[in-house]
Amino acid sequence: MASFAQVIKDKGFVVTAELDPPRGVDLGALMDLAGRIGPKVDALVVSDNQGANLRQSPWWAAHRLAETTPAEVILTLTCRDRNRLALAGDILAAAASGVDNLLLVSGDFISLGDHPQAKPVYDLDSVQALMLASGLAQGRDLNGQDLIGAPGLCLGAVLAPEARPLAPQAIKMRKKLLAGAGFFITRPLSGPDALKAFLQEAGDPGAPLLAGVEARSSEGVSAAAEMAKAIRASGLARGLHLSASGEPETLAGLVEACAG
Amino acid sequence: MIVAERKPFAEIAQAVSGYRRVLVVGCGTCVAVCLAGGEKEAGILAAQLDLAGQLAGRDQRFATACVERQCDREFLAELDAAAREHDALLSLACGAGVQFLAERHPSLPVLAGLNTTFIGVNQDVGVWDERCRACRDCLLSLTGGVCPLTMCPKGMVNGPCGGAVDGRCETDPERDCAWTVIHARLSASDRLANLEALVPPRDHSRASLPGRQTHAAYLRRYSSHG
Repeated sequence: MASFAQVIKDKGFVVTAELDPPRGVDLGALMDLAGRIGPKVDALVVSDNQGANLRQSPWWAAHRLAETTPAEVILTLTCRDRNRLALAGDILAAAASGVDNLLLVSGDFISLGDHPQAKPVYDLDSVQALMLASGLAQGRDLNGQDLIGAPGLCLGAVLAPEARPLAPQAIKMRKKLLAGAGFFITRPLSGPDALKAFLQEAGDPGAPLLAGVEARSSEGVSAAAEMAKAIRASGLARGLHLSASGEPETLAGLVEACAG
Repeated sequence: MIVAERKPFAEIAQAVSGYRRVLVVGCGTCVAVCLAGGEKEAGILAAQLDLAGQLAGRDQRFATACVERQCDREFLAELDAAAREHDALLSLACGAGVQFLAERHPSLPVLAGLNTTFIGVNQDVGVWDERCRACRDCLLSLTGGVCPLTMCPKGMVNGPCGGAVDGRCETDPERDCAWTVIHARLSASDRLANLEALVPPRDHSRASLPGRQTHAAYLRRYSSHG
């Protein structure tokens, strides 16, 4: 499978879309949606207990999507729900199942979701998760011990251009690059100006950056599509990452408007 | 210091309800300072329990004692005689003190009257704030004297998460983002370079067993303690 890195390299501009696994066992709706939008985007990003709310673990949907859609599949893994052993094990299992693109994130804090009583893990932070995955790709675990069969991985990280203050975010971006990030996806943006301001402060991200564009409702699709168009025209990003707060029809509409 | 707060009265009353003669044991150091378990609080609690017992028609008597520190055998020894005359001990020490008292009186029920909350500082009259998680691997020299493991809910050690809004934490808009404060401190003291290096994963093996430390000088002098 060509990794997402190759796709970014080959194409001038890429579009990804975010899918949330179901709060149950039935993958039908997710697969239906993927069937509709998969052919129109370059990659599908499967979220991981999005917003610290219980969902089916993303590796299964990621694996099924990798088998059935033409798009690349990017598996999100949070540090919130896994220690370093679980992260490494899940990364190896994902790679073994044909999913070698990862988005490694710290994860929304546990108190923001539907299980606020749970113990947050954060054994690693997102930078350290990238260090871990970079090591696995080179055939060794965090303790330097050899793997039997190393995964080929394409590693992604998240940027928050609208977090304030910006200066610490810029440092974090440099660390993520240093730790092995091969692409960046931003949190949903309010507009191209926010991205421009971030890049002015943070400098060249050093890896392809996909701008987050979110439609929160079907009414918001046209505004989001306009923003996507403006971001594309600005030349500030190498692609778009589309999301729709878990609303399938909204996502389908946004994909249609931006990548159709 | 160690900060603690008294458990809800109903929980304490329930815990002691089966015992006739109960000794409420205060602790005169940290928990006395934070007004949770000192001599005064032990006296108040004993009086309240007395009243509640009488109202419930129970034949119960509550006496009080207070030692300098329940985490020190030297002081616990003062209680030995009194403890033997009671059916249960209600300790108002931190969790360490309760356990040390229980260890000394293995055949007596030793009950906890406080919830130990954190290691913290006295912020204002009657206000304490957490500052340390006792992680055994202090990062404070690197992080501008602000502990990211304690002050950042995610314990991020390589910089902020993406959730800071106007310098406030995504978990609570009333709280400063620890990394915003760290960045500001290091900027003010011209140490921002501290933040550029990757901080490797932490070694939690140090914290996975109950700790013990022995002072080297005492080890040399009393080698049997080593």
